[in-house]
Amino acid sequence: MVNHMTPADGIEARLRMAVGLPQTLAAGFDAFEVIRMTARDWQDRAPGLFAAFMTVADAAVDGREALTIAPSLPSADGAEPRSTMAEGIDPGQAADTLAAIASMLQDRLTAAAAQAHLPDDQAACQDAAAAAGRICQLMARDDP
Amino acid sequence: MTPVLGEFLGPAEEHIAAAVSSGGELDYRAQRGVVRQLDRLVATLTRYLGDLPLPDALNPAREPGRRGDARAAPARLALDRAARILHPPAVAADADGDAGAVHPVVAHLAAAADHLAAGRDLLRTHVADGPAGPQTAASWWAPVITSEPVSAALLGELAGYTQTLAGWIATPAMRRRISPGAPTSALLTLCAAEPWLRVAGVHIQAAQRHYYPSAARSLLGAIPVNAPPPRPPLGADEPVAELCERIPVTAERLRHAALAFAARARWSPAATSLSWRRDALASAITGHASELVLRGLAERADQLGMVPLFGAQLRTAAGHLTRAWTSWREVAGQWDIVTTGAVRGAGLTPVAAEIGDLALRVGRLAYSNPHWTPAYSADSLTRDPADLAQTPGDVVTVLAAVHHAADAISRIAATDQQAVITAADDRRLYVPVRLLSDKYDIPYPYTLAPRQHADALLAAYHTAAETAASVTTALDDLATAVDAPSSLLAAARQAPATARQQLPAHHDQRPAPPPPPAVAPVPGRTEHALRKLHIRDPALLLRAAVIDQAARDLVAEAAARVRSRDTATIPATRTAPGTQQAPDRPDRVASQDTPLPLHAAPVVDQPLTTSTPAAPSAAAAGHCLIRGSRAPS
Repeated sequence: MVNHMTPADGIEARLRMAVGLPQTLAAGFDAFEVIRMTARDWQDRAPGLFAAFMTVADAAVDGREALTIAPSLPSADGAEPRSTMAEGIDPGQAADTLAAIASMLQDRLTAAAAQAHLPDDQAACQDAAAAAGRICQLMARDDP
Repeated sequence: MTPVLGEFLGPAEEHIAAAVSSGGELDYRAQRGVVRQLDRLVATLTRYLGDLPLPDALNPAREPGRRGDARAAPARLALDRAARILHPPAVAADADGDAGAVHPVVAHLAAAADHLAAGRDLLRTHVADGPAGPQTAASWWAPVITSEPVSAALLGELAGYTQTLAGWIATPAMRRRISPGAPTSALLTLCAAEPWLRVAGVHIQAAQRHYYPSAARSLLGAIPVNAPPPRPPLGADEPVAELCERIPVTAERLRHAALAFAARARWSPAATSLSWRRDALASAITGHASELVLRGLAERADQLGMVPLFGAQLRTAAGHLTRAWTSWREVAGQWDIVTTGAVRGAGLTPVAAEIGDLALRVGRLAYSNPHWTPAYSADSLTRDPADLAQTPGDVVTVLAAVHHAADAISRIAATDQQAVITAADDRRLYVPVRLLSDKYDIPYPYTLAPRQHADALLAAYHTAAETAASVTTALDDLATAVDAPSSLLAAARQAPATARQQLPAHHDQRPAPPPPPAVAPVPGRTEHALRKLHIRDPALLLRAAVIDQAARDLVAEAAARVRSRDTATIPATRTAPGTQQAPDRPDRVASQDTPLPLHAAPVVDQPLTTSTPAAPSAAAAGHCLIRGSRAPS
């Protein structure tokens, strides 16, 4: 029996259900961590995709760093993000999963930037959304 | 293309050869022109000698640690004497506008002087005055230039020019080149300068008694101007040949940027984890792709029937690359957690801004997709070995490109490692508080990186720098074995192993000596004494000049020590005879060499003894004078 319920599902759900800027920032921070850890897990599995997953992990750190200094980011709630590793999936499915999380991140952070009152929150959301956009491009399976 | 020294030395030699082999009459105007251009040549040669840390052969009596310009005394003095003879008539000819520039001989000499001056300007780009001190190394090539083999090679060139010119003036044909009834002053000037040029040539030539490998001459000619080449635009479709041309250019730009930024790594806003993370990422990708390229080359070398050992060496180098890129992957992983903090708008270092070009180009060399990028959609098979290199010559060309890339990565590893060590020392390494467990209740986004994280990061850098160096060593050997264009990198790396490191070290706190004058001081007492005896032998006069120069050096050195002592603020301590002394401070040791002026004799509380007292510091001398017990009336 293949377990299809992964942390990716959980983080996507958190992102989708986040209400207000602090929750969105916290979910975004954790989503970038999920992406980073997942990309690190995959970077050595397919030699041809080493550069792709390495670069995604780097972009995820960019996004997480951007959100770290957002004034409205709440303190940690104790939930520790985990890799989206699931059994029986191939690199393509992993890339799709990461692209899906990144796409949702980009949407939510872009919206949050528009609603944020503090300039530093706005800038943090914009920078993080840009990082999510890069991850989308990197993980897209077809040429954009 | 970046200008290299050989592009100036070669034509200079050709023009001198053309000038001295030119036949025909040399009229008076042309003779004045020759004087004018010889004056320029002699001045330029003197400056070259002033710049060089000359091997001891020029003055074996000098200890190795002495400054190069001091060791060059005999040759410089001989050139100075030639300049004293040539310069006044040269200035007069210049002022009269009667320098015969249209004569072919004069034109050739003028061109030679121009090329030599430009060559010296090129060499001077490799040193600069900066925070570390005057005339410190400003490029990776600086230690190569000051290395013994390359210095000796340059001396060989300079000696050759000087001797050729002296020999030319001395030839009977030259002396017969005079029109009946024409003035003879210019020719007499040349005849008077000739012995000095000959002696200078001999003294410079003495440096060549040291054997230097032929590679040193190639290295000399390959010294580039210290300026980054233009950034090659990233083409949408760069074939292998173009990639192999552009990778060395990109690597050269990165080498240049790494060193240029290193001096300001401590305070620049761009010196952040973001930049170092980018460097680690690109280094890992470049190393990974380079390994694929080398394995492809090894396979191709087998297919082409190249020497089996070559294929084996390629595979060994590929193994080194595996260790290198995995160590960079580890560095990148450490930066996942550790950070210098997010600083919006800080930008990237010049290396971080461009290192992606290198990763992209080496990646496109490794993979068959000409539009390869580190994106999933660009996933591609590795390039077919036959496509990578069709001929054995292509194998060498591709190897050279990988060698250049690895060399740049190695330099970046060293500078980044140092910068990160500095950041750790400055307590600028943090971790995001949200990544720590719940027990950390810190109301800030970051906290100082726990020791184990910082140590792991530094250890990862240490390994990355070590493995990068082992890759360059392996590729140096390979490139040298097949005489690849990049073998220059190997020669340049080996040359400084014998460098004398004449450039002031950063920790050298001695007062900077005055720059050597373009022309040495007027003849001193010893030389005057010989001239009074109507001695005209340049060899004897030169010995006298060297003695005079040594005396001036001694006085200058003593004066510098006195100045240094006068600025010292540490009060002297007095020690009773027979008591245990603490280890001497450097200023005290130095002051023992300085003869005491009578009015500054030391005052001690105990009776004078016959033993030589240590010279007091300036402060102590002042203290003694205030007490007045031994002050002169």
